[in-house]
Parts: sequence; C-alpha cells; structure tokens
Amino acid sequence: MTQERTRIAEDEKGKRATYDDIRVGETLGEMAWVVTEEMIDQQCEMDMDYHLWFSVDSPWGGRIAPPQLSYRPPRWLFSRAYNVRGLFYKWEMENLKPIKPGVTLKVTGTIADKYVKNDREFVVYQAEAVDSEGSVIFRTRRTHVLDFVERTAPRAGKGIDSGIKPEKI
Amino acid sequence: MPVLNADTTVGCELPQIARQLRLEHFKRGDEKTIHTDMEAASREGLPAPVAVGPQVAALIFQQLRLCFEHGWIEGGKCELTFRRPVFVTDFCVAKGTVTRREDVAEGVRLYCDVWIENQNGENVIVGNASGIVPAPNELSPP
Repeated sequence: MTQERTRIAEDEKGKRATYDDIRVGETLGEMAWVVTEEMIDQQCEMDMDYHLWFSVDSPWGGRIAPPQLSYRPPRWLFSRAYNVRGLFYKWEMENLKPIKPGVTLKVTGTIADKYVKNDREFVVYQAEAVDSEGSVIFRTRRTHVLDFVERTAPRAGKGIDSGIKPEKI
Repeated sequence: MPVLNADTTVGCELPQIARQLRLEHFKRGDEKTIHTDMEAASREGLPAPVAVGPQVAALIFQQLRLCFEHGWIEGGKCELTFRRPVFVTDFCVAKGTVTRREDVAEGVRLYCDVWIENQNGENVIVGNASGIVPAPNELSPP
C-alpha cells in the first residue's frame, strides 16, 4: 500500500502559510539587531571558517563578522510574518560594509514576489540593514520554495520541524 | 594577500574549499528538524535529512574571502541557486573561475562563476559572485 503524498498543513508552531496567504509588497517590519562576539564565534564554528579578522582584529578596527552572519535576521523577519519551513532556493547578497559587534543595525524587509514553477510555489523576500548613521551594511534577496512536495499534493500532513525558529544563531 | 589581484586573467581558477559534512554539524540542542531528524525530513517529502543551505554555501563565502579579502567584505556580491538538496553526510567542494573584469572607481571588479559539487560530481549550488581588488597602482586598503 502506498502512502499518499501530502504537503504539511501545520506544525507545532501553528498553521503553515499557504501560497495564497503570501501578500506581495507586504512589509515584514523591522528589527534592531546587535551582533555579539559570541555570535561571531558561533558562525565561525558552524562554518569551520576562521580568520584573524573574525577572531582577533581587522583593518576596520576590532573584530568583524563573517558576512554570511547576515543570513538570519531577514529570515527571522520573514518567519515572524509567515510560517514557511520549505527549502532555500536562491540567495543574493551584497556586502557593503563590515558587520561589527556591538553596533545596532536596523533590518527591514518586504515580500518582493511569489511565483509557481515546476509545480512548486516560491516566495521572494528582500531585506537590508542600516547602521545608526543610515549607511547600508548589507542587502539581500532570497527565494524559498514553500514545500519540497509538489503543489498538486493536498496540504494535509502535520510537520515536526517549523519555519518559526528561536531568534538566535 | 588576496588570491586574486589586478593581474588576474579571465579563466583563472579559484581555490577549492572542501568539507565532509556530518549530521552533527547541523544539530542545535535537541531540536528535531529536517536537518537532523529522519522523520521530520520524511514528513516534508525528503528522502533524508538535508544540510543547512547557508552552511554549505559558506564554502563559497570562504573561497571568496580568500580571493578578495577586503574586497569581499566591502563590495562583495553573490547570487546562488540551490539546485538540489545536499544531504547531511555529503562531501562538498566549492569551485570557481574568473569570467570577467571590470574597471570600477574602487579598483577592478572581478566576476566569477562559482559552484559546489557533491561526491558524485553533481553541481548542488551554482551561481556567480564578484569582488573588488585594488587597481595596479593602488596601495593596499587600510
């Protein structure tokens, strides 16, 4: 007997967002984000990527973060608005200035697009971070596929994992 | 010193960065996720737990930092597509080549094709990236 293929309808954090729920142009709000020395250490350990600039000192004065530390805050903004587990599909990033510990960044985001391709549903969101002087530190644009399973499968299953995560590295 | 410089020519290969992935690399406490738990992955239709995309892409970022150093941190750009799932025990290697040069106000922007291959030679992440190197007569950045 074959099991019917389904898409996840809900998980322990609540109902999964559907394609129809996603509103293109919607702001994802903003968050104040302060990078800590511990976050930089964690990122280097996760990526197994160590460099003097990330650990000790840099030409910008003090330690800086690996630029990919910028992945999480936009994802948190997205998760505050929509419970999408899905899979990461596209990642655009632009590093304009180094991310420094102890500096408060304002991160803002919007839903940029959504589309259907290969019988799957995609959502595009974009975000940028500025410092207290208004200088842009990074910009990013990401695409997530809502489900690994095709959109023609019924949305009925219950998931274990969730798109809503603790807001920590 | 960055691997790439103003004398770098189109076709130059970027240094390869490899990593043997392990399930333990993706664990966060006791949390059951599609990255650590077979049942969580299966319910999402995945055949096995998949690696965390940004952690795999980090091989490319490490490669770009080596290539551009200062010019990756300030002025680095990247566009990646995750073409197929990477599983948590896969072997991955980041590769790349320089495809184009452009004189810009800050120096020379070098454009690259970048990608990650798994142990079967399949391109699991593909994309392009660029960074800035000092112009030939420029002093090194601060």
